[in-house]
Amino acid sequence: MKRAGKISVALLVVISLCSLFAPLISQYDPDRIDLDAIKEPPSSKHLFGTDNKGRDIFSRVLYGGRISISVALIAAFLSMGIGLIVGLCSGYFGGKIDTAIMALVDLILSFPSFLLAIGISIIFPPGIYTVMIAIAAVGWASFARLIRGYILTLREASFVEAARALGCSNIRIVFVHLMPQCIPLTLVIMGLKLGGYILTEASLSFLGLGAQPPTATWGSMISANRVYISLAPWMVFFPGLMIAVTALCCNILGDNLRDRFDVKIKE
Amino acid sequence: MGAYLVKKLFLLIPLLFGITLLTFILTKSLPGDPVSGMVGERAQPEVIERIRNEIGADKDVFRQYFGYIKLLLQGELGRSYYTNRKVFDDLILKFPNTLKLALGAMSIAIPVGLFLGFLSAYKRESITDRMITSLSVTGLSIPVFWSGLLLMLFFSLTLKLFPPSGTGDMKFLILPSITLSLPALATLARVTRTTLLEIFDLPFVTVTRSKGIAEVKLITIHVFKNALIPIVTVIGLDFGSYLNGAVLTETIFGWDGIGRFTMEGIIKRDYPVIMGCIITSTLIFVLINTVVDIVYHYLDPRIRLHEKSR
Repeated sequence: MKRAGKISVALLVVISLCSLFAPLISQYDPDRIDLDAIKEPPSSKHLFGTDNKGRDIFSRVLYGGRISISVALIAAFLSMGIGLIVGLCSGYFGGKIDTAIMALVDLILSFPSFLLAIGISIIFPPGIYTVMIAIAAVGWASFARLIRGYILTLREASFVEAARALGCSNIRIVFVHLMPQCIPLTLVIMGLKLGGYILTEASLSFLGLGAQPPTATWGSMISANRVYISLAPWMVFFPGLMIAVTALCCNILGDNLRDRFDVKIKE
Repeated sequence: MGAYLVKKLFLLIPLLFGITLLTFILTKSLPGDPVSGMVGERAQPEVIERIRNEIGADKDVFRQYFGYIKLLLQGELGRSYYTNRKVFDDLILKFPNTLKLALGAMSIAIPVGLFLGFLSAYKRESITDRMITSLSVTGLSIPVFWSGLLLMLFFSLTLKLFPPSGTGDMKFLILPSITLSLPALATLARVTRTTLLEIFDLPFVTVTRSKGIAEVKLITIHVFKNALIPIVTVIGLDFGSYLNGAVLTETIFGWDGIGRFTMEGIIKRDYPVIMGCIITSTLIFVLINTVVDIVYHYLDPRIRLHEKSR
């Protein structure tokens, strides 16, 4: 892995650990209102400053990271899980099921993805589960398409034939013989998509479809604080910086994984 | 060519059915009564009755779906809960603004993105290349609602060069266009670079070069021609998605287009507005993509021949 990739992994680990151990790192309760310390600029007391209700931005960014990162990660695993199983079955069994599934995949991919995510999330009450569902409901399609394509190239491979000759059931061939073959490809897609999921999570939260106030997420902090941009730019700057750095690290990691496994991905 | 066009347009039909089916399912899944969801709570009873008959809320799901398509074909997207105005009328009113912003963003993204892509492919593995590559990854990772706010803070609130928000002439258009162009520009630079690098390794480049052609001419004419397809795809996709109204950018800059309209709908949970925006935008998106497909046909004789040979 190249140097940039290593740095990205290190940064991602640091960001995740800081969020995970937020209570140990920040002495402030993220939701505690302190009207004596309103819109204070960054200082040694409040590292990232305070917001219009005197809440510590550093602490809110750390706690917000818990939600933002975990929502994006869970959504990514959901997309991957659904896409992997659907892609495997669709590619291996073929036939009518394959045609039907691929029609659905093409349909989902023909939508502007962000708008479809919005459309799905307005069905449910706003919250973190809504965001996860919305991202995964759109995201599984590209996993399924790529994995199906890969399985099509493997289906006639001699090891599959050998497994069949030994009397393995189809289920066994799909999950024991074919699924492990998909791990590198799945990892690469995951790496390439994760940065996008971080951004989608932030955008949906920004639109008010995610976790509701007073709970902080990176996206919702920006949307709540943007009216104060000229008076207290730090209220917007730091949450956005966290989104950008996290997404950037994910994207660099994704590129590195792709080069490393030498997987060609065309969508 | 004619046959190809007909075939492409014919292929649109099942896709449009699929799209309307999906939006129909979404609309049916929304909380509340679908009919009052479409016309608004303050509609006259006879309108409600008409719509109820039309989508056949009492009939089976298939009839309801065909009723829904019939309404869509009439441009009936329902009325806003809050303003009681027809969603379709508002969409038409706001579309020109969205188009302006999309054109503004593309007129920045295309030249800059192409230039950066060219430069980094031409100076492969140099410091310039590495810088451009990292810049384009960064461009893909920055949320527009953040970069937009930072641009606004710097150029409007500090330097007072542009108005911070509002809809209007060039002065208002510049900042949102730049914001919106950043991710497109980054994608375009990336795609241009990878495509060009792939083509550089093809034998015809070596042959042309060995004939003593000027490097600039080789790249701008011979190589570029072969790189057009992926580049046009990216441009088409981005343009198509910008015509949906850039929800986030328009919101930040108070630009009165379809995107902000969608956002207002989301904040007020104004379902007819949101669904109307989604349906219209998706249709535009799909149409643009079809146009791009047809443009390929013109651009690349190989595709044309391939189609013929089948």
